[in-house]
Amino acid sequence: MSLLRNMASGLRSLFRKEQVSQELDEELNGFLDMAAEEKMKQGMNRKEALRAVRLERGNLEVTKEVVRSASWESFVEGLWQDLRYGVRTLRKNPAFTAIIILTLALGIGANTAIFSVVYTVLLKALPYPQADRLVMVYENVHLPNYQNKHNTPSPGNFSDWMAQNTVFESMAAYSNRSFNVTGTGEPLRVEGERVSGEFFGSLQVNATLGRVFTAEEDRPSTSHVVVISDSLWRSRFASDLRVLGQKVFLDDQGYEVIGVMPPRFHFPDPDDQLWVPLALTPDELINRGSHYLDVFARLKLGVTLAQAQTEMNLIARRLTQLYPQSNTGQTVDVVPLQEDIAGPVRPALLVLVGAVTLVLVIVCANVANLLLARASVRYREIAVRLALGAGHARVARQLLTESVLLALLGCAVGVLLARWSLGALKFLAASNLPRTEEFGLSAPVLLFSMAISLTAGLVFGVSPALHAVRGNIQDTLKSGSRERAASSRLRTRSSLVVLETALGFVVVIGAGLLVRSFLRIEQVQLGFQPGGVLSFRVIPRGERYSQGAQRVVFYQQAIERLQALPGVQSAAAVTFIPLTLAKGRKGFTIEGRAPSGPGQIPIASYDIVTPTYFQTMQVPLLEGRDFSWSDSPQTQPVVIVNEAMAKRYWAGEDPLGKRFHQAGPDDKFPWMTIIGVVSDVREFSPTVAPEPTMYFPIAQFTYADAILRDWVVRTNGDPARVASSVRSVIRQVDKNLPVTRIRTMEEVRSLSLASQRMNLLLFGLFAVLALALATIGIYGVLAYNVAQRTREIGIRLALGADGNAVLRLVLRQGMRLAGLGVLLGFIGALALTRLMSGMIYGVSSTDPATFFGVATLLGFIAAAACYIPARRAMRVDPIVALRYE
Amino acid sequence: MGDKSGDLVQGTLDMLILKTLALEPMHGYGIAVRLEQMSKGVFRLNAGSLFVAFQRLQRDGLIRSEWKATENSRRAKYYALTEQGRKRLNSETREWGRQAAAIARILEAS
Repeated sequence: MSLLRNMASGLRSLFRKEQVSQELDEELNGFLDMAAEEKMKQGMNRKEALRAVRLERGNLEVTKEVVRSASWESFVEGLWQDLRYGVRTLRKNPAFTAIIILTLALGIGANTAIFSVVYTVLLKALPYPQADRLVMVYENVHLPNYQNKHNTPSPGNFSDWMAQNTVFESMAAYSNRSFNVTGTGEPLRVEGERVSGEFFGSLQVNATLGRVFTAEEDRPSTSHVVVISDSLWRSRFASDLRVLGQKVFLDDQGYEVIGVMPPRFHFPDPDDQLWVPLALTPDELINRGSHYLDVFARLKLGVTLAQAQTEMNLIARRLTQLYPQSNTGQTVDVVPLQEDIAGPVRPALLVLVGAVTLVLVIVCANVANLLLARASVRYREIAVRLALGAGHARVARQLLTESVLLALLGCAVGVLLARWSLGALKFLAASNLPRTEEFGLSAPVLLFSMAISLTAGLVFGVSPALHAVRGNIQDTLKSGSRERAASSRLRTRSSLVVLETALGFVVVIGAGLLVRSFLRIEQVQLGFQPGGVLSFRVIPRGERYSQGAQRVVFYQQAIERLQALPGVQSAAAVTFIPLTLAKGRKGFTIEGRAPSGPGQIPIASYDIVTPTYFQTMQVPLLEGRDFSWSDSPQTQPVVIVNEAMAKRYWAGEDPLGKRFHQAGPDDKFPWMTIIGVVSDVREFSPTVAPEPTMYFPIAQFTYADAILRDWVVRTNGDPARVASSVRSVIRQVDKNLPVTRIRTMEEVRSLSLASQRMNLLLFGLFAVLALALATIGIYGVLAYNVAQRTREIGIRLALGADGNAVLRLVLRQGMRLAGLGVLLGFIGALALTRLMSGMIYGVSSTDPATFFGVATLLGFIAAAACYIPARRAMRVDPIVALRYE
Repeated sequence: MGDKSGDLVQGTLDMLILKTLALEPMHGYGIAVRLEQMSKGVFRLNAGSLFVAFQRLQRDGLIRSEWKATENSRRAKYYALTEQGRKRLNSETREWGRQAAAIARILEAS
């Protein structure tokens, strides 16, 4: 209550200042008069009486000041005065102000944009209720021949974990799957998930329309149900409320729509459009050989991560004893969902934050530098104010207010810049950072921006403010000591320039390492020729393709027709094209070799291909022959291996004619004979070394899960030109199969480098900014110094010094600053670039070429920045110079 | 200069002003004179301290003010106790009495 009244009264005196001050005047005057009358009654005359009262009761004006400054609003008023004065000063010098605001805006804008990414990806809670209790549960495999901390669990492990744990409220599994949607309208392929019964319950998200699955529905049955996303509901069903109960056809099976999820709900993948029950069969529920589920769980209230981890490891140990063949070397890793999503990108993001922070520090140094330069202009004004009795603190406060005002203006413009750049950032980050759809200037981001701006304002304002009020007034007004003050300012400015150059060097080194590493990646031998190849995706699923033989007929027909197209050299299909981060692995048993221990059979990546795949991708066949359509279930089972596999398992032998079969020694799979060796292909990404890989012919590999998804077509000219004829060929063969992801292999390659490209672009931008600022800094200090030393230079010239000597003098001074900066930066970079080791490829984080290259570059730029002031010094006219002061 | 309010215990001035106003509303000078009279000239207050105190008390809602004519038909701002001010005066008087008695006992005991 009293606080409110205090505020109200304070506000009243702020906004009705005239009236309040008049009242106080009148009241005090009355007080004075009454006191004086009292004295006059005792026989004094009026003048004496007034004087006596003043002596007794204090000076009226002082009293007014005391009463006024006793209230909080007087502080606000002072601040307001400072602000108005600051605005006036800044407006008097628009060019100067604009440069400072722009510099600050670049620094603050870059920091705001990067922070909005960091905040979304690393700090913001996931968009599910109590998301901090959600965890991923992985198999942690460490066998001599295979290590994976985050192996996807087998269905058998999933069901045992679910049944035996006491730490989770609920546990659920999902498995990604794409579906051909047919029925009404164009055939469409959408990404979806097969999910277990407690999937939505664990997330604690319900359908907005209809309902999610019941536990009953997560069992194998003939009636199918599907929950769809809000966006599929809008695009495919025109937001029709009668969608519930409608039938859609997914891979030719009828599914009843039972629910629509809320807008923007997505899990696990932003692309997911529908969810169907996983409905594991009793056979699958005890399968411990295929590891293809993703499992997540919700911790019980009050259970810690460590407790959950301990119990899950106990369960894992039990399972290892029970099933040594499949579970040897297996523990469990429980990872918070947030960490699972953010963990992989954290190091790179933190390095970006580091770089952008350095840029902000450089910006602050630069602005401080500019303010110091201006301080020499404002020196007289400040000295006069000090002489007239302004307190040092008051003047410093005034200067600081100006700095903070500049910082806040910079913040406003910077936030605008950040807003514009966020669109570009989303685009850059789309394929390599999670949660890009959530990037934005939310309240915490804006608060952060304000906070760094205020901090920056204080940081770059302190030194000029201190310089301005230091030293006593008489010194300041005398011109000799003004030079002394100027030289102390020059020292400060020189150290600022050294700091800028050093930090700039570190940022440029970072960018340099990324450039070098990007060039290395560009040169990596991929093992195939992406140029001239078009890729697309067609997945034959549904009634007509339930048998492997039916699919083989489809592949053969489609490929024949594709190869008949004008401009097409060859065509083929494969499980996954290279560079898409997707790859299956299988264990195998080599004829005549026993496994080294239980569950320790060798493992290799695999692809299933049609004949002419290697020819289409131009993967050199080193030995033997390619598959042909005459390799059939009736003929000898054959396999092709890559060089890495041949070297690992048949070193010093001829692999051709050797035999191995899938899975463990006791599993009854037919022996396959190696008929060819191809050279290694970077399957996963350009930066991941090739692994031992086996290639199976589709005609002999007709298991239910053997489905080729990706197609490749080698063309004579621009591959994009055949895109439409490819579509029509597939439509001719089966009009219900959608063709998606039509991209050239060059595009696929380029996309696989998206994160490197983003880091490079951002770092490059920061480096350019840092370099420009450091250059301006060096130039500014030298130009100022030359102006200061005009008289000295004039005397030197008058005494016969050579123009070139003067030029060298100034150059030497500038290069000393730059050299010191580069030296410090060199040391700093050696210490800091280690943090980047995860972001670079093929170069060491202390790559000498980069370090010396950047040092040379910086040297040249510094020399250029020195040259202009040095020329000016050389051309000083001695007569003018001596008249200067 | 004649300011002896510095000798006053912190917060005591507020209590004394409230006490002065307990009898009747009064203007600033009247309060100053009354305080001097009642203290037999011990407390001679300077205008600054007085008016800062008025401002504070008013903002705390313990007194209110009103412009009125004086007996000499001069305009002056009259301060009066609010209900809250009266309560505060009572509680502070009681507290003061308790403390003063305690202090006196300690001083006499030695």
